[in-house]
Amino acid sequence: MAKHETPLLDELESGPWPSFVTDIKRQAEKNPDCWDILGLLELSFKERITHWKHGGIVGVFGYGGGIVGRYCDVPKQFPGVEHFHTVRVNQPASKYYSTENLRALMALWDKHGSGMTNMHGSTGDIILLGCRTEALEPFFWDLTHELGQDLGGSGSNLRTPANCLGQSRCEWSCYDTEELCHHLTMHYQDEIHRPAFPYKFKFKFSGCSNDCVAAIARSDFAVIGTWRDDIRIDQVAVKEYVAGKHPANGGSYIGGDWDAFSIKKEVLDLCPTECMWMEGDELKIDNAECTRCMHCINVMPRALRPGAHGGASICIGAKAPILDGAQFATLIIPFMEVSAENEFENVIDVIENVWDWWMEVGKNRERIGETMQRVGLPTFIKVMGLDPIPQHIKEPRSNPYVFWEEEEVPGGFERCVDDFRKRHAA
Amino acid sequence: MGMSDEEIQAAMIEKATKSPKAQLYIKDFYKCDPDTKPRMIKNLANDLVKKGELMFWSSGSTTMYARPDRIKNEEGDSGVN
Repeated sequence: MAKHETPLLDELESGPWPSFVTDIKRQAEKNPDCWDILGLLELSFKERITHWKHGGIVGVFGYGGGIVGRYCDVPKQFPGVEHFHTVRVNQPASKYYSTENLRALMALWDKHGSGMTNMHGSTGDIILLGCRTEALEPFFWDLTHELGQDLGGSGSNLRTPANCLGQSRCEWSCYDTEELCHHLTMHYQDEIHRPAFPYKFKFKFSGCSNDCVAAIARSDFAVIGTWRDDIRIDQVAVKEYVAGKHPANGGSYIGGDWDAFSIKKEVLDLCPTECMWMEGDELKIDNAECTRCMHCINVMPRALRPGAHGGASICIGAKAPILDGAQFATLIIPFMEVSAENEFENVIDVIENVWDWWMEVGKNRERIGETMQRVGLPTFIKVMGLDPIPQHIKEPRSNPYVFWEEEEVPGGFERCVDDFRKRHAA
Repeated sequence: MGMSDEEIQAAMIEKATKSPKAQLYIKDFYKCDPDTKPRMIKNLANDLVKKGELMFWSSGSTTMYARPDRIKNEEGDSGVN
């Protein structure tokens, strides 16, 4: 039985799409506090202003993240959402669950919280919505002691790291994303659970440049799989694709209004660096010009595979609503070996170098991508101790002003004016 | 000779107590001893939270630090706790 009249929200159930209003009503039959979510939202629709307050001091003992304080500003009217804190739970790598674990997690949330969830949040973690302050510690105790799971990151912490399925299911993954994600999650427990930075910091790990976790768009530190040697070609399979014996793109276009497969139209002409051509019925690739975009491999997966020498590119500084609009991460290191044998030491070295600089130079509430934009890429590359390389440059500069450091100029900036005037009269 | 950890923590508590703002960013504490690395300041601030001298306040996206008496009053005044 509905606790509040919600005519405006009810309209959101009338369309052809699934409705969150219906979901909340269903949950409210089980947990009556959830009627107050609908009542509060209806009030916000009527008054055209939010009634959720901003942040709070709640948390669990010893942690400075994982709980986000949420209160409503009309608690007498809607006591069920007086406290409605969000809990972020660290998801398992690649989001593999057993149904037993999912049922236990939901039973725990029904016991201590509202039962409302958001599976998953954009960072990847399990979002549990709606917990009273006094229920936080009991929930945390049960989560850690009964389920062996932990909270994720929030606030100015390292956020819960996320990865694609990687080598567990994908033949294209150029490194073990799950191993790296798990290792760094364990290595940086302090940074995940306690604030460390001027603002949030996100890791994401993709096994190839198809980038199934959107690392290049959503993370401050993106580790994206790539290869150093040549694309592996099965010329027999290429001929079979050309002859129409295999469907392009693994069959994802079957049933569409497409012409017969054309290797020229669908592969060669769409290569961004035009590094592919046919010699007779043989496919040729100038691998030095290949940018590892994966398009040709996606179209002809039986014929083409990533090279055997796998590793990763490091891209830094993505952010969605940045000063000039959404910003992808910038390629900083084109290729790096990623190996559990040395406990990912080289990746950790880069991370700590970035953090040490950003903690000092970054402004409050400034993501590292914004700091990089503020100081400029040349400065960032220099403080990272890297040499500029062509991959850092989008296009040759059109601005004629080139700034040199004194140590980069043979002889420095010291000069003899008299000697100069002998050759160039005033 | 730089400041000891205890001296830096005392300066941080003083700053959190006397600052016009009840809530401070971690960077606000860097000035307590400019010679100390930010990572060390972060560790000292989190240690003060453990001791109950400071408290976290989080908006969900950013975390700030405050003296418990100042922040609790602020939340209490707004009718939450």
